[in-house]
Amino acid sequence: MADRNNALSLPCKELEENLVLFHYGDLADTERDALQVHLGSCAGCADYLKELTALLPLTIKTDEPPQTFWTDYSRELRHKIAEASEKKSWWQRLGVLFQPRLVPAFAAAAVVALALTLTLGKSMWRTNDSAQEDAAMLEILPVAENLEFFNAMDVLDDLDLLESMGNQSNAA
Amino acid sequence: MNPGDEELVGLAQQGDRRAFEELVERHKQKAYYIAFDFSRDREDAKDLSQEAFLKAFTNLKNFDGRSSFYTWFYRILVNLCLDFKRRQKRTPTDSFDETLESPMESSYEPQKPPAPDQQVLAGQFSRRIGEALEALPARQRTAFILKNHQGLSIKEIADLMETAEGTVKVHLHRAVTALRRSLAEFA
Repeated sequence: MADRNNALSLPCKELEENLVLFHYGDLADTERDALQVHLGSCAGCADYLKELTALLPLTIKTDEPPQTFWTDYSRELRHKIAEASEKKSWWQRLGVLFQPRLVPAFAAAAVVALALTLTLGKSMWRTNDSAQEDAAMLEILPVAENLEFFNAMDVLDDLDLLESMGNQSNAA
Repeated sequence: MNPGDEELVGLAQQGDRRAFEELVERHKQKAYYIAFDFSRDREDAKDLSQEAFLKAFTNLKNFDGRSSFYTWFYRILVNLCLDFKRRQKRTPTDSFDETLESPMESSYEPQKPPAPDQQVLAGQFSRRIGEALEALPARQRTAFILKNHQGLSIKEIADLMETAEGTVKVHLHRAVTALRRSLAEFA
């Protein structure tokens, strides 16, 4: 590594960045003029610049695709764009529903739907309530019909109680 | 008189697909060559550049004209190319060390060319350049490719990379220094 670095030209450290920009023609006029003067007297910087000029273009890998490549390229891409466009329009159609100008209409529709639900739902709930009430009445009516019987049973209980109390006092 | 890019973009934003296709025709070659500079492979370059056009098409509504279409589109393309290289580096076959110094010591690459055959040398040199470029940090590689291969101005590169011109100059200088060291044996 050290050997290789020694083989490389050694430019003035503070001018290295400007030498790169000089190579690419990106140096401002004043700096370029000053560097050109410096290059006349500094072998290290001059060699560095020569090295960049020789090496950097070699890093470019060239490619020259044939005309058919470009024709296919355009055709393929048109097809892909058409597909993407189809997908896009589907989403756009869906997206139209969420546009701000349609929000009040959706809100009004939602209020109407809610009112209808409450109105119709209430009558349905009422029907359910009355059915439950009817079922409760069906349970209560037999009890009411046999109320006398139950009352009589209470009386019989009382008579039994009195009889047993009488027996106890007689025994005493 | 041909409409400008911005006019075509406006038409395309209103749903004119032909306007976008015209933009593709204008920029396809440059887009392809930038993608090729990053990937160094014809099929990959084709896929990447086409993907960039598709991405631009589907996101056209987000283009607000603050930068030129050219800058906006090439930013999409360069980001796709960098993502592609990042994905490639994650593959198990790629064991290339990313540090700037190590490519010279990589074990699978012979230190000296084995035979004085011009084709072998050219092949080795081309492969070594590819590896040296890949070893550069993404922003250095981007600045270098856009300057050295595509000849963009420092300002154009700065706009595209969304950074200051001074930063681009630093990236460019560091990239050149690293490449020069990596390729010293061929100098």
